[in-house]
Amino acid sequence: MIRTERLTKRYGSFTAVDGLDLNIPAGEIYGFLGPNGAGKTSTIMMLLGVVKPTAGEVRLFGEPYRPSRLDLRRRIGVVPEKHPAGAWSWMTAGEYLRMFADLFRVPRAERRIDHLLERVGLAAEKRKRFARFSRGMLQKLSIVRALLHDPDILFLDEPISGLDPFGVKQVRDLILEERREGRTIFVSSHLLSEMEKVCERVAIIYRGKLLAEDRMQHLLATLAGEREIHVDLEQVPPGLPAKVAARDFAHAAERRGNTLVVKAATRGGSRRALSQYLIDQHLVPLGIRERSLSLEEAFVTITGDNVDRFAELSGAR
Amino acid sequence: MSLRLHAAAVIARRRLLETALSPGYYAALTVGLVLAWLLVAGFVRAVDSSGFDYTLDPAYGLIGSGLAGAFGTTFVAKLFAEGPFLFILYAAFLPVLLYLAVSSVFRFGLEKKVGAVELLTYGPADAAAYLLAALVKDLLLTLVALAALLAYLLAAAGLNNLVLGPAFFASLLILFFVAAAVYGYGIVAASLTDNSASAVALFLGVLLLFGGVMAGSFTVVEGYARDLASVAAWVIQWLSPLFYWHLALRAAEVGNWGTYLGAALLLALLAAVLLGAGHLTMKLRGVRP
Repeated sequence: MIRTERLTKRYGSFTAVDGLDLNIPAGEIYGFLGPNGAGKTSTIMMLLGVVKPTAGEVRLFGEPYRPSRLDLRRRIGVVPEKHPAGAWSWMTAGEYLRMFADLFRVPRAERRIDHLLERVGLAAEKRKRFARFSRGMLQKLSIVRALLHDPDILFLDEPISGLDPFGVKQVRDLILEERREGRTIFVSSHLLSEMEKVCERVAIIYRGKLLAEDRMQHLLATLAGEREIHVDLEQVPPGLPAKVAARDFAHAAERRGNTLVVKAATRGGSRRALSQYLIDQHLVPLGIRERSLSLEEAFVTITGDNVDRFAELSGAR
Repeated sequence: MSLRLHAAAVIARRRLLETALSPGYYAALTVGLVLAWLLVAGFVRAVDSSGFDYTLDPAYGLIGSGLAGAFGTTFVAKLFAEGPFLFILYAAFLPVLLYLAVSSVFRFGLEKKVGAVELLTYGPADAAAYLLAALVKDLLLTLVALAALLAYLLAAAGLNNLVLGPAFFASLLILFFVAAAVYGYGIVAASLTDNSASAVALFLGVLLLFGGVMAGSFTVVEGYARDLASVAAWVIQWLSPLFYWHLALRAAEVGNWGTYLGAALLLALLAAVLLGAGHLTMKLRGVRP
C-alpha cells in the first residue's frame, strides 16, 4: 500500500532522511516513531508529496507517487498536527466540511458530514464557527475532514497530542474502528503509550535512518534487554537484594516495601532460577509478577545517548 | 472538468463568498465611487468658456500640479484631453485594485503561514489550482468593479452633459489586463516570501519600482537622473504592466488597434507567466513557510 525505496532528503549538506525503505501493507495501523529532528516530518512530507525527495521513490497503491498525481491524492486522508483554523475563521464546522466535500466531490455530502460528526460527538457543533473550538474538538473535526472522501490511507500526525483523557479515548476508538473498516492508518506520534495501544507495527527512525521496523510485540521483545520480576514476600530480609543481584540470573535487585524487584534478562529461565533461589533461602514467594519493557521505555532506551547501543543490538547500522 | 480545474473552481467560489461577506471590497469600491463623484463635480467647476482649466478648481489644481510634477505637463494634457473621465476612471479604480491585490497577497501569506495551503494541497488541490483560484477570484471581482464604475460614470456623464470618449473605453478594457498582471506580481511576491507582512512589503515595493520607473520616463527634466531613470526604465519596462498600459493607450490615441490588442495580449501573457512563476516557486520552495 505504502512503499518507499531508498527515500532520501537532503537540505544542503544536511541529510534529513537517508535511504529509507518502508513497506506498509494494506489494512494495518503503522506507528512511525522518532525523536525531534530524526527525519520523521521530512519523511511524512515526502510521503504526502508536499516535499520532493532528493533521491529514491514513494509508491502508493503500487504506483509511483508524485505531487501531480491528484488521482492518488484523492485516496489519502491527512490529519496534520496543527489545524489552520485561523485561515477560515468565518466558517462554521459544516461549511468547512462542505468545502472539502466539494473539493473531493463527495456524493451525498451532507449525509456523510452528519454521519461523521455524529460519530465523533460533534453533531451539535455543526452550525458553530469552528475557530472557537477547543483543541480536542478541532482534532476531531480534522479527522472528520480527513475521512469525508472515504480514503484508503489515513495519515495521522500527533493525533492525540493535547487531548484530554476522554478525547484520547474517542480518537483511539475511532482509529481502531477505521482499521476494522480496512483502512491503512499511518500514525506519527511521540505519545508512545498510546501508540502501543493502537499500532500493530512500528518503525523507529533516528538521524534519518530506519533503526527498526517490526511488529510491536516482537520489537519490544527484541528491544527489551531486561524485564522486571516482582516477588512479594512476607518480609524482605536485609542483604537479600545484594545476594540476588550477585547471582547469574539477575542484573540488579532492590527492595520496595515487602516486594523484591529483580531485573533479569528477557530470555532464559531467570524467573524459575529466582524462585528456586528464594526457596533455598527458606523464603516463600507470596506472588510473582513480571513487567516487560513498555514502548516508552524501549524508545528511551534506543534514542538519545543510547541510540548507538540500540543500533548495535538491532544490527541496523 | 479536470481535478485541478474543479479544485480551483471550489477554492475560487469559497474565496468569492468570503470577500462578499467581508466589508473590505465594498469599502474600496465606495471610496472609488465617492472619489469619482467628487472629481466629476470638480471638473464641472473647472470648465469655463475657454474649456477645461484645472487651475480653476482647488482640488484639480492640486492634482494637476502633482501629476505635472511627477509625469510632466504633456502627460496631464493627454490625460484631460478628452475630458475628466479617463483620470476619474484611474483614480476610482485604484482603491479597488490595491485592495484586491494587497488582500490577496496578505491572505496567501497568512494561509501559507498557518498551514492552510498545505492542508488544501493534501487533497485534490495542488499549488496550480490554489494560485489559479486566487487569480480567478480577483479577476471576477475586478470585472464587477469595472462594470460598477462604468455604470456610475455613464450616469455622471449623462447628468452633466458630458461624454466618456473613446479613450475611456480603451482604458477600461486595458485596465482589466493591467489588473491581471498586477495580481500576477502579487502571486509571485507571496510565493517568494514566508509571511503576510513580507509578501505585502515585497509586492508594494515592486509596484513602487514600476511607478518610479514610469515617472522617470515621463519626466522632462534633463540630466543624470533622467539618464539613469531611462536606462532603468528600458530594462524594467518589459516587466512592468504600466509600460504595456501606456503602450496600449498611445496606440488607442492614434487608432492603432493592432498595437492596442497586442499590448492587451502581452499583459495577459505577463499574467500567465507570473502565475507560472508563482507555481514554479511553490514547487521549488514547497507550501510550508
